Amino acid sequence: MEPILQFFYNLVPGLADLPLWIAATIVGAIVVVAMFTYIALFALIGIWLERKISGHMQDRLGPMEVGGWHGWAQTIADTVKLLLKEDIVPDKADKPLFRFAPILVFAAALSAFAAIPWSRSFIPANLNVGLLYILSISSLVVIGILMGGWASNNKWSLYGGMRAVAQIVSYEIPVSLSLIVAVLIAGTLDMQQIVLNQSGSILSWNVFRFFPFPFIAFFIYFIASLAEVNRTPFDLPEAESELVAGFQTEYSGMRWSFFMLAEYADMFVVAAIATTVFLGGWQAPFEFLTFIPAAFWFLGKALLIVFVQMWLRWTLPRLRVDQLMYTAWKVLTPFSFALIVFVSLWKIL
Amino acid sequence: MAALLTKEKETTLYLGPQHPGITGNMMVELKLTGDTIQRAKTHVGYLHRAFEKLMEERLWMQCFPIVCRICVPEPDPNEENLARAIEEIEGREVPERAQYIRVLMLELARITAYLMWMGGQSGSMGLYTMPQWSIGDRDYILDLFEELTGGRVYHMYIWAGGVRRDLPVGFKDRVRKVMDYIESRLVDYDRLLFENAIFLKRAQGIGIIDKEKALEWGVVGPPLRGCGIAHDVRKDEPYEVYDQLDFELITHEGNDVYSRAMVRRKEIEQSIHIIRQVLDKMPSGPIHNPGPNPLKWKVPAGDAYVRTESARGEFGYYVVSDGSLKPRRVHVRGPAYVHGIALLEHLLQGANVADVSFIMNSLGTCPPEIER
Repeated sequence: MEPILQFFYNLVPGLADLPLWIAATIVGAIVVVAMFTYIALFALIGIWLERKISGHMQDRLGPMEVGGWHGWAQTIADTVKLLLKEDIVPDKADKPLFRFAPILVFAAALSAFAAIPWSRSFIPANLNVGLLYILSISSLVVIGILMGGWASNNKWSLYGGMRAVAQIVSYEIPVSLSLIVAVLIAGTLDMQQIVLNQSGSILSWNVFRFFPFPFIAFFIYFIASLAEVNRTPFDLPEAESELVAGFQTEYSGMRWSFFMLAEYADMFVVAAIATTVFLGGWQAPFEFLTFIPAAFWFLGKALLIVFVQMWLRWTLPRLRVDQLMYTAWKVLTPFSFALIVFVSLWKIL
Repeated sequence: MAALLTKEKETTLYLGPQHPGITGNMMVELKLTGDTIQRAKTHVGYLHRAFEKLMEERLWMQCFPIVCRICVPEPDPNEENLARAIEEIEGREVPERAQYIRVLMLELARITAYLMWMGGQSGSMGLYTMPQWSIGDRDYILDLFEELTGGRVYHMYIWAGGVRRDLPVGFKDRVRKVMDYIESRLVDYDRLLFENAIFLKRAQGIGIIDKEKALEWGVVGPPLRGCGIAHDVRKDEPYEVYDQLDFELITHEGNDVYSRAMVRRKEIEQSIHIIRQVLDKMPSGPIHNPGPNPLKWKVPAGDAYVRTESARGEFGYYVVSDGSLKPRRVHVRGPAYVHGIALLEHLLQGANVADVSFIMNSLGTCPPEIER
């Protein structure tokens, strides 16, 4: 947090006179609000983009009316609609849990943003175990989803919640194992250090070093991360044709939209981890391009991965539950173990 | 372990009548242990409109708009059946040109029905691009229907004694153009659905129909041909001018969802082939052999059973006339009744809950047709 505090001290010199804990709290609150705004904006743009992408893939135009230019204000209109919707809590639901679930899911997604390095100086919390922190905090999402599924008192929700737990817990293993491959190369869990470790040209990014092991690990991570955030082909927890809407079935209005926000935030988080760990983070691909701000490169790479996530959603069908488990335990996990062994050997020799 | 499994508690899951994965207004009651279905029971009755009874109170002419509604995505085989049954009782001749136009209609309707099935089948596994594509392409054929008959979905075009209108000027070229387009799109469909690795994984070995029992159960149409049994009314008992047209009878070994899908996929090509031949061979001449004034139209006493191959399978109509202004009895034997109730219950036993909608779609379950 030091660089950010310093930045704010320079901006508002009066802050430096206050005791550290007050200054840190103020700065922290500002950063959280900024992150929340960012997630909301990202979800607004992301949902619009997803509609446009799906529309163009499906020989349609997508939203075209609201706001004039290519329906850019469609998601804003939808958000207003969601805000005005009646907030329904089922009569037989476990009400406290039902209310708390979307908050928990969203809080977990928001907290993960704390350790993402946007540029050399902007990282909300520069932890020395940043990667571990992100992985563990985003595991909380599972509890929120199970809570929502259980508390709804609906069989579809329960099935969706159970599926989500089975899926996310299983896929956390290949996610972590494939990240360990990169951690072995970098020798640190510090997100900023992992990025700095990859400075240079595109060839010093982790994907292309120790070729081809981290390259394979990158794909394993990408596939498993799709399952982590319930995207197609792993969208079983909310499989429409099977489970109506899975754990979200009973949710409406703002509570539902918090699940939606969390989903988009998670999409961005996994893309950001992939960018940071494998694709050089905020570093420019070539030395002569460094004059472009680092945040641009970071956002560009992350959004490219988000685009691929959306692209896959509209071209792949859903897997069956047993095939999902097969992919996690019999394909991705053994492969990432093998990669760890190979990279460790390479590192030692 | 076995003792643990047998003690597992059963959950009851009511799939439908309002559920995005169900092919219409019907309900499947599932008894589950975990994700495996132990027993399935279909509940229909949400869409019963008593069409067969209704027809007994209608003039013969008024029956045509009713039979259309029996099968929503593909109404033409029903009109064809009723028209042919009446013609058989009356002994009325149908001009050759009308017969060709009927075949054209039936095959166009078959393609629309398969395109719609494609959408349902891929929608049931979360591939929502396919329905957008195939139902969008289906619209080009619906445009042709609209031009020819005035209706996009329900046509009421095939009539006792012929068809209602002749082809408009330039219609044949437009049909050819649409057929060329659909043919070119088949490549895209293959890449998105029929050759998709996940589709193959999900479809192969799922929903297996026992080949020995298929005929016994009365399975017809693509599910039967997907068992490798060559049965098609168009070949077995050619009606209209099917005996003068050259087309292949598609069968596929495998008995599963995949083989049913491939039968339908290849039949689209055959239908396009048939339509092109019909357009080439169609003679000129009258299109209707008119009967008496429809308001005073009495069909002579007698009965007839006719069969037509629809996209779901064999459609049979048993029509009885007592010589009055109204039919005495019209009995409909629809393929979805066999597929969507007994066969579905049987196939769902031991299936995964994720495959319910998938299997339903592959059988062409259609509640409007089950209940009538």
